[in-house]
Amino acid sequence: MNKSCYGIFKTFFKVGVLLLGGGYVILPLLTHELVDKKQWITSDELCEYYALSSSLPGVIAVNTAVLTGSKLLGFKGAFSAICGMILPAFLAIILLASILSKVVELPFVQNIFWGVGIAVIALIFMAIKEMWSKAVVDKFSVAIYIGSLILALSGKVSLAFIITGALIFGIIYQILEDKQKEGKE
Amino acid sequence: MNIYAQLFLQFFHIGLFSFGGGYATLPFLYAIAEKYHWYTTNQLTDMLAISSITPGPIGINVATYAGFTTTGILGSLIATISIILPSLIITSFVFKILDKFKANKTVQGAIRALKPAGCALLSAVGIRLLFVSNLHLLGTIILITLIGTSFVRKQDPLVYFVICAIIGLALGRFNLIGV
Repeated sequence: MNKSCYGIFKTFFKVGVLLLGGGYVILPLLTHELVDKKQWITSDELCEYYALSSSLPGVIAVNTAVLTGSKLLGFKGAFSAICGMILPAFLAIILLASILSKVVELPFVQNIFWGVGIAVIALIFMAIKEMWSKAVVDKFSVAIYIGSLILALSGKVSLAFIITGALIFGIIYQILEDKQKEGKE
Repeated sequence: MNIYAQLFLQFFHIGLFSFGGGYATLPFLYAIAEKYHWYTTNQLTDMLAISSITPGPIGINVATYAGFTTTGILGSLIATISIILPSLIITSFVFKILDKFKANKTVQGAIRALKPAGCALLSAVGIRLLFVSNLHLLGTIILITLIGTSFVRKQDPLVYFVICAIIGLALGRFNLIGV
């Protein structure tokens, strides 16, 4: 298929439909569609986009769609990719939302959700473990982690404030570190 | 403030400030549940499970859902677009200056601090959930077992959901929930 807006939309729509389980499977799915089948980008490029996406704010799947779409057809491509990726999610929830509140009232469904709630907490801790192994690598990152955790648990400041604070500390620390290196040389 | 403007601001700020991917949007989604009551914390936990069997990332799913519970389809549309908009703007811009972005020391310094901060926010959510969920003894045992097995071999999230759904169904049948 050619790299038209519609072509990009259709490809990402397909990926969006298959994107079950909350975004974990996006890399293998995109590899299959964009690298193996369409040969629009190389596997290396895709991996780089994916890694970069996790360093940018927002939803990883959306960021990856923007980067890949931009590469294929500029801003138009990015827009088409996002629309394709999001539409299946949007439609599925719209369809479910109207019946959801009634279904959840049923006693046996509540039992199911009691169990599922445990799985959610377990998955959150697994995600924390994975983020920790990538993010907390030295004394500086430990300090940022502990500071942010205390502020977040206190519930007194907004999360946006914590993130902005971390951003500023990161930049200052980098500048100080660079100066120290220059001083040694 | 107008409900549509509120939806826009809240979900736009999630798109702008959530770092670390995957569950990084969760702390913000829980904060919204406490502050605005568009959905409850319990509903959010249910949504996480539902999100695993419906297409799309959790952040998008919850945005659509929150929009729908407040003001129907128009609300869904606004919330969903708002959470995506920062990504579209920032990521498109980063793509244009890709090589400079990767080589820039200041950017790298910022990312190095943002990742542990994102991890800390999610940790705070995990810790809070331990206290507010009515796990009791059996639930705690199940939770510890699940986390323990993940050190050996990590399964697809769907596997955990299915197993826990069956356990919940079985324990409920014998009136063991709350033990």
